Amino acid sequence: MAGLLKKTTGLVGLAVSHNPHERLRILYSKILASLQTMPQDAAYRKYTEQLVSERFNHVKTEPDVEKLEQKINCGQIEEVIFQAECELALSRKMSEWKPWEPLIEEPPPNQWKWPI
Amino acid sequence: MAASLVRFVRGGLGRSFNIARTSCLLQQQTRLQSSTTESRPTVRPKDAVTHNQLAAFGEYVAEMMPKYIQQVQVTCYNELEVMIHPDGVIPVLTFLRDHTNAQFRNMIDLTAVDIPTRQNRFEIVYNLLSLRYNSRIRIKTYTDELTPVDSAVPVHMAANWYEREVWDMFGVFFANHPDLRRILTDYGFEGHPFRKDFPLSGYVEVRYDDELKRVVAEPVELSQEFRKFDLNTPWEVFPAYREPKEAAPKLEAGDKAPEKK
Repeated sequence: MAGLLKKTTGLVGLAVSHNPHERLRILYSKILASLQTMPQDAAYRKYTEQLVSERFNHVKTEPDVEKLEQKINCGQIEEVIFQAECELALSRKMSEWKPWEPLIEEPPPNQWKWPI
Repeated sequence: MAASLVRFVRGGLGRSFNIARTSCLLQQQTRLQSSTTESRPTVRPKDAVTHNQLAAFGEYVAEMMPKYIQQVQVTCYNELEVMIHPDGVIPVLTFLRDHTNAQFRNMIDLTAVDIPTRQNRFEIVYNLLSLRYNSRIRIKTYTDELTPVDSAVPVHMAANWYEREVWDMFGVFFANHPDLRRILTDYGFEGHPFRKDFPLSGYVEVRYDDELKRVVAEPVELSQEFRKFDLNTPWEVFPAYREPKEAAPKLEAGDKAPEKK
């Protein structure tokens, strides 16, 4: 009986997810949609798309949660969901900040020189 | 070898300085190598694997956010340092917190350094920890007495008291801080004690006055007049940052070569 149903993640404030696949599918497709709004050559889009689609493939192909956790290799599935939520929030903020633009301002001369 | 030891992603204006720095680190490395052949247990062995990992991650971050990141370096003690423009405090900290490959969710320390000779005299330093990847990163930015820096409290709650401390000790103003007031100094204290131009004796001294039956504050009176001490130490203070004097012009000539990579 024990181990059939996961009772706790063992982490404070992180509840057990009952439908992790569906949740991750929704989150990853939202992240990918949000990345579509960025320019094609932005490094953030390139790397995040690569990362997310890799995980998305694992989610699609692996129905077993424990094996999926091993394949993603980034903690429990609830933690992976949390990471995806953070990434989604970040990607929306990123399209507002546009950090792929060139440097805003060069540092003053000798700003980073040490010792003085 | 030097290029792998310190990889400057964005050279910026300190280009010749970077070269000097890399070469001085190279020197240090040769010293370390010679010491390892002597198998001296007191000298820290260099860890090339960690170093390369940090350098690769630094390049990754700099490629993601070229708008804000001015320079990335790995110090000789394997600490990753990211120098950013003050406008990028919130974006860079949020990115490092929320990106799946970074997850620097803990703010360990926030402090400031006062270097009065610089145009922007204060350096603000953020130390972050990623529990997921067991790694640390240091973010540095700069400001002067009047320019406010964006507060990091919306990103890291831990920054609240740290920023109050920096405000109290250095007088750096943090915009959008929820509760920016003194934290360490006494009520009614004037001045910012960690500034380099703050006198060691302070400006006021307090004593109990018998006639008034209360504590009074008076301006400091020094019994001895100001003396100029010769504080130059005969010892070498920054051996890790030694700048070669005679080798400099030769390196200037070969300026281009390490730039290409």
